[in-house]
Amino acid sequence: MKKIIDLSVKEKIYRSKKTQISILNDFRLEAAAGEKIAVVGESGAGKSSLLNIIGLLDRNYNGEYTLFGSPTEQLHTSRLAQWRNQRIGFVLQESALINSLTIEDNIKLPFLYAGPDKKGVGEIADFDTVISAIEIKHILKKKPLECSGGEKARAVFARGIIMKPQIILADEPTASLDVENRERIVTLLFNMSKEFNTTIITVTHDLEIANRHDRVIRLERSA
Amino acid sequence: MKKSLFRLTDMLELSIVYIFCFSLNLLMEYAKTLDLDAYILKAFLKNFIDYQPLIVSLFTFIVIVFHYQMLERKKAEIFCRILVGGTAFGITIRYVLDCLTVLISVYLLSALVNFRFGFNLADNFYLILIFVTYILISAGRVRKYENI
Amino acid sequence: MKIFKFMVSKIFLRKAILGIGIMLLLLMANYITFTAARSVLSTFQGYQETKYVNQEGVYIANLDPDSHIDMSIVDENGTQAVYDYLNSNFKYAFYTDGFMVSVPNSDDMEISLGYLNEQYYKLNEFELSQGTDLDFDYQLDGEIPVLIGKGLSKTYPVGATIEMEESVLGRPLTLKVQGVLKQNAYHSNYYALNSKTYYNFSIIFPVNEKFIDRASMDIQFNGLMDIILLDTSEEEIASLREVIKDNLGLSFNFFSQKENYDYFNEYYLHSLKIIFITTFILLIVITCLSVWNASVSVRLMLKDFTINLLVGLSCSKLKKIFYGYFGMLSFVNVALISIFTAFNRYGCWLRKDAAFATYGLFGLIGMDWLALLLVAVSDMIIGIIIVENMLRKIKKVPISLGVLQ
Repeated sequence: MKKIIDLSVKEKIYRSKKTQISILNDFRLEAAAGEKIAVVGESGAGKSSLLNIIGLLDRNYNGEYTLFGSPTEQLHTSRLAQWRNQRIGFVLQESALINSLTIEDNIKLPFLYAGPDKKGVGEIADFDTVISAIEIKHILKKKPLECSGGEKARAVFARGIIMKPQIILADEPTASLDVENRERIVTLLFNMSKEFNTTIITVTHDLEIANRHDRVIRLERSA
Repeated sequence: MKKSLFRLTDMLELSIVYIFCFSLNLLMEYAKTLDLDAYILKAFLKNFIDYQPLIVSLFTFIVIVFHYQMLERKKAEIFCRILVGGTAFGITIRYVLDCLTVLISVYLLSALVNFRFGFNLADNFYLILIFVTYILISAGRVRKYENI
Repeated sequence: MKIFKFMVSKIFLRKAILGIGIMLLLLMANYITFTAARSVLSTFQGYQETKYVNQEGVYIANLDPDSHIDMSIVDENGTQAVYDYLNSNFKYAFYTDGFMVSVPNSDDMEISLGYLNEQYYKLNEFELSQGTDLDFDYQLDGEIPVLIGKGLSKTYPVGATIEMEESVLGRPLTLKVQGVLKQNAYHSNYYALNSKTYYNFSIIFPVNEKFIDRASMDIQFNGLMDIILLDTSEEEIASLREVIKDNLGLSFNFFSQKENYDYFNEYYLHSLKIIFITTFILLIVITCLSVWNASVSVRLMLKDFTINLLVGLSCSKLKKIFYGYFGMLSFVNVALISIFTAFNRYGCWLRKDAAFATYGLFGLIGMDWLALLLVAVSDMIIGIIIVENMLRKIKKVPISLGVLQ
């Protein structure tokens, strides 16, 4: 299978006034297209930091990262932003919505940053198709504060997949959901992987969900 | 952990914006008393002195900005305090009293300066009314954060 | 443009209080800069005007501030005696204005008459937009050539005649329009250089010895207040001082070129320094408040910025959006200042204040546009400081998924 993520982190350091914390020491990750990887570990192990690095939000680490065959160190920030728009989707907790926008505007937000030239990257998913599949048509005109946790989680999911990304990074997407909504989100994620050969990297505390992935990576906290 | 929403930095920030507004008013009052020979200076200052109430009132808007951002930042804290047994009424009263404490302290300081320079103590009084109005209006927003 | 409109309407303006706060602070900064710039420019214009007059051997008169005017001892004989002495012993530039007269015109303004002699006319180089220079060799019974301001040129083009009851001579006169002064021609007060009267609704009347001899005491007396003596010396002036003292009971000072420069340095430069320093300090304070306001905005909008960065907004684009937003606020502020100034200038027209009525593009004259340019420059500097601080604050956070948890 074609390798699209090749990450090698020697260390990632967080500095505060009094202390220095080193995480992801000698960490290595390779992921192929369509692969489903779960990342588990105790708090402070660096799970969200890992997603920040993979998602091109954080370049302040000691290591090398090749994404889609290109070394990311050499890429301009505008190229990174373009990839975040078109090739990487973030599925986060339900609080990651802009409260002043309607659910529809929140979901369509990536369209705003999509340039006219998207050839070779993939088509923008049909909005109506996505909305029907996720069953959130009834809340499109509502604001996030008017929606339930499950509805918001599905809205965040819709925004994450609307551009048919090649990689989906999910950061505890089911953390505060009930069983029914949790299952819904996980099923939608796995359908993306099956249908569109999307690579899924999920950070989760739920071992049951983690075990349903192709691989589970366990992060340990540094001493 | 104190019951007040205000931290030291918040108190300092509020004091600084109050001091700025009172100082501006005081400076303009002082400018009015200057017996200037130079026509150019007189004409320059006249452009501000003629519009003193308007200019000072517009500047007081930064106090509104302070109250607004303070409550926006503290909305999670307000909600949490209510969760653990506090009441919206109690938090509101404490907030008003904290703001008034800072206001009165700064006013007394400005009154001292007024007295030292021989200005009328009532010159700054209209600012007190404006600031108390801002405090009361902003206090009304505390209730909004009972459920976030 | 789409992204900019979205960010402004859906993110920035949703927290309107912060936007209003920065607008008001900018407005104050702009007003202070504009006022200071105009004071300086106006003073500089006045100084340029006095340079024509302030030459070697030229002495400008000024009533001694400690001298008390007793009008009971001032009479026609006294003033005439002074002018007789002046005519025999000095070359002098004569100018006085402020004499109002009703002359029909399209704007219904009261017209100001300005009287000047040939020496004053040559000294000051009046610029004309139409017609020819004044002729000082005329007969009172004939048509007297005059210059008029732009405001009168519609009703009285070059060559037209004006019939009026001339108050100084106390008789009807026929004036012939010889030329039209350029738009917004002005005269600065020599002792308040930033104070100007505009000639747009004035008639510039040439006076000669014969005219002054027949003129009323008012014009003779007023003319003495600003009399300018040419090609003379301290010794000659000393005797003139005595003549004025003896005939009018007044003490006059006559300031030489050096004394005028010293006066300018002492009063004007010093005042300009105070204006600069005051303006600078106020702008620093306002900039600090604006930076605080912007920091507050970043704190409150960080989650919204993070989400946008997640879905494809780049930091460089965000920087451009911030600059665009600030530029927009700046433009609105400059427009407000322009409207306010134009309204003030228009007020002179409404009040029929002929001495201050001006013409200009959108109601603003050259000095106003220059001041607005300086306002735009100061806005740019303040804008750069604010935006770079905002970006620094955003980068410090840093942007990550942690912001959204």
